[in-house]
Order: sequence, then structure tokens, then C-alpha cells
Amino acid sequence: MTHSPILANTEVLGGYLPHLLMGIYMVFLVVLCIVGYLKGKATEEDYYLAGRGQGTLVTSLTIMATFFSSAALLGIPGTIYRDGVSFVPFALNLTVGGLGIYFLGTRMHLLGKARKYVTPADMLSDYYGGNAMRLLAALTGALYVLPYIIMQIKAGGYLAEQLFGRENTFHFLGSEYEMFEIGVWALSLLTMLYVLVGGMRSVAWTDVVQGFLLLSGMLVAGLATVIYFQSKGGYFNAISTLPQEALTIPGADSEKWNPWMLFTICVFASIGSIIQPGQWMRFYAARSVKTLRQSALVFSTVLPICFIFGIMIVALGARVEFPPEKAFPPEKAEAADEWQSNKQYKAGDIIAKEKQLYEAKSDQSSSLQFEKSSWKKIEKDLYISHESDLIVTDNAVIVMTEHTVPKVFGTTLGSLIVTLILIAVLAASMSTADSNLHALSAVLTRDVYDRHIRPQASEKEKTWFGRAVIVAATVAAVALVELGREASGFNPLKLITQLMFLAIAFSSQLLPLAIDVLFLNKGTRQGAISGLGFGILVVLVFSPLRDILLSEDAAASLGAFTDTLKQTIHISAIGILSNTLVFAIVSRFTEKIPQKRIDEFRQIMKGKG
Amino acid sequence: MFKTRLSKILAAIFIFSTIMGPGPGLYLIMPEGDESPASVFGIPILYAWVVLWFFVQAGVILVAYFKLWSKQENSSE
Repeated sequence: MTHSPILANTEVLGGYLPHLLMGIYMVFLVVLCIVGYLKGKATEEDYYLAGRGQGTLVTSLTIMATFFSSAALLGIPGTIYRDGVSFVPFALNLTVGGLGIYFLGTRMHLLGKARKYVTPADMLSDYYGGNAMRLLAALTGALYVLPYIIMQIKAGGYLAEQLFGRENTFHFLGSEYEMFEIGVWALSLLTMLYVLVGGMRSVAWTDVVQGFLLLSGMLVAGLATVIYFQSKGGYFNAISTLPQEALTIPGADSEKWNPWMLFTICVFASIGSIIQPGQWMRFYAARSVKTLRQSALVFSTVLPICFIFGIMIVALGARVEFPPEKAFPPEKAEAADEWQSNKQYKAGDIIAKEKQLYEAKSDQSSSLQFEKSSWKKIEKDLYISHESDLIVTDNAVIVMTEHTVPKVFGTTLGSLIVTLILIAVLAASMSTADSNLHALSAVLTRDVYDRHIRPQASEKEKTWFGRAVIVAATVAAVALVELGREASGFNPLKLITQLMFLAIAFSSQLLPLAIDVLFLNKGTRQGAISGLGFGILVVLVFSPLRDILLSEDAAASLGAFTDTLKQTIHISAIGILSNTLVFAIVSRFTEKIPQKRIDEFRQIMKGKG
Repeated sequence: MFKTRLSKILAAIFIFSTIMGPGPGLYLIMPEGDESPASVFGIPILYAWVVLWFFVQAGVILVAYFKLWSKQENSSE
């Protein structure tokens, strides 16, 4: 069982250590879920905002746990493993995000408390007026939430493979299930259960446990990596041996991380992420402004430390310990055979040498098939593989942790720590999945069902509708993950990081409107609707979803332009800038928001409302 | 929002550090041509650069929290 050398083969507790710890963790979540249910009231506000009384510990940890998804522990380290130090500046988006909690979150909290908001659309439609605004804001929220849920569920599958061995299968009612499937279903069902039963209270309390687990897991994994490299001449000594392109921008593999890309991610995507529906609702649910101020401080100082001195250290170590290798994907093998059959290439300078060889060959050959430019095409199709199939980018942290921790802490303690770290990765997935399922339920119940389908519904009925949404969204997300896994043609978004950035680009589109409501008060309803609609459209056109939505020819002709631009700046920034431009132009020529409403909002934000 | 002198200074430092740390400031530490990336005390310069600007940003936020934010006890408490 090469994929889980320690856990699947460990002799600790007869090999049942992962099962025992996972069992304890799951029982603990169920207990929190029941306590949340017993303490809750059958009202919409209590189910979605836990009575608006969450203190600093719960608020800060639930914001951090929601922010730290499987992307933080699988996708981002995977990107660092692939691209090297070039992606480390990404960590600075967290300080910007922390400021976002203070500047945006505290104002949202004051307005939410005074005007009884539950969802982001409540605030935007109250300020701008009209149902179109509400529906569009709800759609934006849903567009963010769905990719995020899919991403977390997918991570559950990876983790089950790592914890219990990819080769192991499970027989149930005469059918055989792979570990990936079991992980996907287990994560989905457990998360769905405690969101369904306990609402925001259970979600936030489980986030506290999950937050502690993942923050400590990141730091312990980082520490183990540094200690591990001490016997090899020191951590940074080892890192310095990485190929040159892995030590600088724009990065070793994707060559994507130029300064403008990183800057736009850190400025726009971070704030976009901090106003995703789940976080926005946490601002309403906080007990006070002071709670949010303290949460902003913790977020902007603790999280970057966990990233820069924890998980990023592990990912860079993984790149040294398990250098990525490149191979042609099977469908390109035939083309590759033309010049060298199925040869595997080391990343870095060897690739460059091969490229020169290839170019030399193409010069000698008149074959159009091997024009110089086609190298780029082929190179783009190279994917990171491994002779032992040990690292598939997204699991770099897991493989590295299993490799280093037992060597540093001994087999028994090491196995215990590794299992806890893997549970921390699971916790990161669950804490984000639960918040997003919960937010999606709020958005569809409050902004769609309550306003447009059954306005006369009782509090109890709305709560049950919200629960039905959670079940439906979970089943749909699992189905999409399974579909993506089974149908090779349906895989528009392969990496977790790609999913994360797409989701953030959607939620970022609420930013210009939020800034207008909270600070500027210059926009109009028509401007807000046009800007938001245009922003979403731009993100769609720039995203891989374009290939699904448009015809092949239209997608190809747009692709040339969009691909160039999105190689330079991040898609969320492109969306926000387009959105803002349209918002400002349309607002200039349309009816202003009544001054009375603007004054009311300002008074509330001054704490006098 | 940025009414006091301190708040303006802190805002300026934070914006500057965001431009320098993950932004165009990175061009300053990019190796030219085939030059190897530099290091600071054995640490790859890009990593050290990020650590430096993180401490600047965290410092700004800490000062803002204790000197500015904590004094605003308006809120819904």
C-alpha cells in the first residue's frame, strides 16, 4: 500500500489507529450536533445565525475554519509543490482578508443586527430595493457555494484513500466500493447530518474543534518537516537545491505566478473570499463589533503564520523530497511517440534540454506537426506524475507528512500525529463544506422560497425547506464528483485550487456593491444590477465553464483573448473591474437611492441606529 | 475612517507593503537572465521577502488594533 505507508500498515493498535481516531472525531461531531439542536430554537434566525450571539472564540475560529478549506491544506500546498516558492506570496492575502473582516464585517454586522438581515441579499436588496437585486445576489452566492462544496467533497475521497489505503475496497449489499467513494459519501453524509440538525450553532461549534485541529496540524506538520531536514543539512539548505525556476517567480510548472497575478489575488480574491455568503452570515451572527475586531486581528496574524511557517514549509519540503516528474497524458502519447516514445522528464533543466533537442529535431524535420510552437502545446499537456504514483499534486502535504512525522516522532507517536493531521485536513474540508451548505440553504430559503415561492410559509416550514436544500445540494455535489471521476470527458476543473479560485471570482462580484452600501453610497439599483450581472458574465467567460456554456467555435475565439489576460491578472480582479465600470456608468444615469435610506444606513453604521 | 494621522500612516504602510510583498515589488528581487536567485542567511530570497512583508503587515494591524480599533467602543455591544 504505497499510498499510506504508515497508516495503512501501522502496527499501532493492530492497524486500527486511524479507525479509532476517526471514530472519536465523528462521535464528537455528532455530540456537538445534538447539543446544538437541543440549544436551538425552531426559528429561521436561530437556525441560520445562532441567535446572533457568537463570541470571539467561536467567531474567530469559525471564520478561520470556513476560510481554510481543503484548498488550504491540499490545493495550495499542491500548487507550491508544483510551482515552488513562487506561490508563497499568496499567503499575504490573509492579512488583507483580515482587514476585510474589520472594515467590511463590522459594518455588515451593525446593519444586520439593526435590520434583521440573514443573507447577503437581505442587505443588498434592502439598500438598493427590488427583487431582481435579491435574486441576482442569491445567484452570485450560489455560484460561489457550489464549486466550494464539490471541492470539499472531492477532498474527502482523497483523504479516505490516504487514511485507509487506496487499494482497499468496501463491500456493502453485494456491491464493491472504492475508498474514494466511501470518503466522498462519509464526508458528505456526516457534514449534512450536523448542518441539518443543528444549523449555524452546530456548524460554528464543530468549526471550533476543526479550527483548532487544522491550525495545530499545519504547525506540527511544518515543525516535523524542518526537524526532518536537520539531518540533511538543514531545511533551507535543502530548499536552496531546488531548480532555479522553483525558487523564483513566475514558478516552475505553470509559470503563472507573475507579480500582477499574485497582487490581484491578494487584493481582490482575498476580499472576495471574505465576503462569500458563509462568511458574510458570520458577520451577522457575531455578538458584537468588538468580537469581529478581535476576530480580524486573530485572522490576519495567526492564519498567515500557519501558512508561511506551517503548510508551505511542508509543501516545499515535499518538492525537495519527492521531485515532481512529468509525463505525457495517455491521450497525447501517440503525438509524443513521434519524437520520443512515452519518455518521462524530470522537471527543470532536463525539460529545457529536451526542449532544445526537440526544437533541433523540428528544425531538421520539415514536418508541420513539429513546429516550434507545438512544443508549447505539448509542454502544456505535460502533467505531474510520479514513477511510484506517490504524489498527484493535491496530496503533497499528506504524502510528506506520512514520510516525515514518523521519522521525527517515532512510529507510535508519529502515527498518532499523522492521523490527527489527516483528520485536520478532513476537518478543513468539513468546516468549509458545512458553512457553504448552510449558507446555500439560507440563500435559497430566504431569498427564493420565502420571497418568491411561499411568502406565507411559517418559520418551521422555512426551516424544513432549508434542510431539504441541504440534502439536495449534498446529493447533487456528490453526483457531480462521481460524474467527474467516471466520465473522462467531463472534467473541466481538475485541481482543487482551480475550483477555489473560480468560486472566489464569483463571490468577489458582490464586493463593489458591498463597498458602495457600506462606504460610498453613490450607486443606484439599476447600476448595481447591471454591474453584478456583467461581472458574473465576465467571470463565466473567463472560466473553464466557458467551454460548457458556449459552442466550440465561440469558446475558441474568446479563449485566445481571455487566456492571455487571465495569465496576467486574476479572474476575480477582471470581474470586479468590469463590474465596477458598468456599475459606475449606469449609476451615473439612473435614479439615485433616496437620501433618507442612505442616512438611515449611515446612522446605523455609526452605532446610532 | 482614516481621520487621524496615525491611521493615515498605517494605511500608507499597509498599502506599500501589499504592493511590495505580493505585488510589483517582487520585480526587485527577480534574478536577471540566467542569474541564480539570491538568498538571505541561506533562505531563498523570495521566501524571506514574504516573511519580511508579512511582519510589516502584521505589525500595522497590531498597532491599528491597540491604538485605533480598540478605542472605537461604539458597536452593538
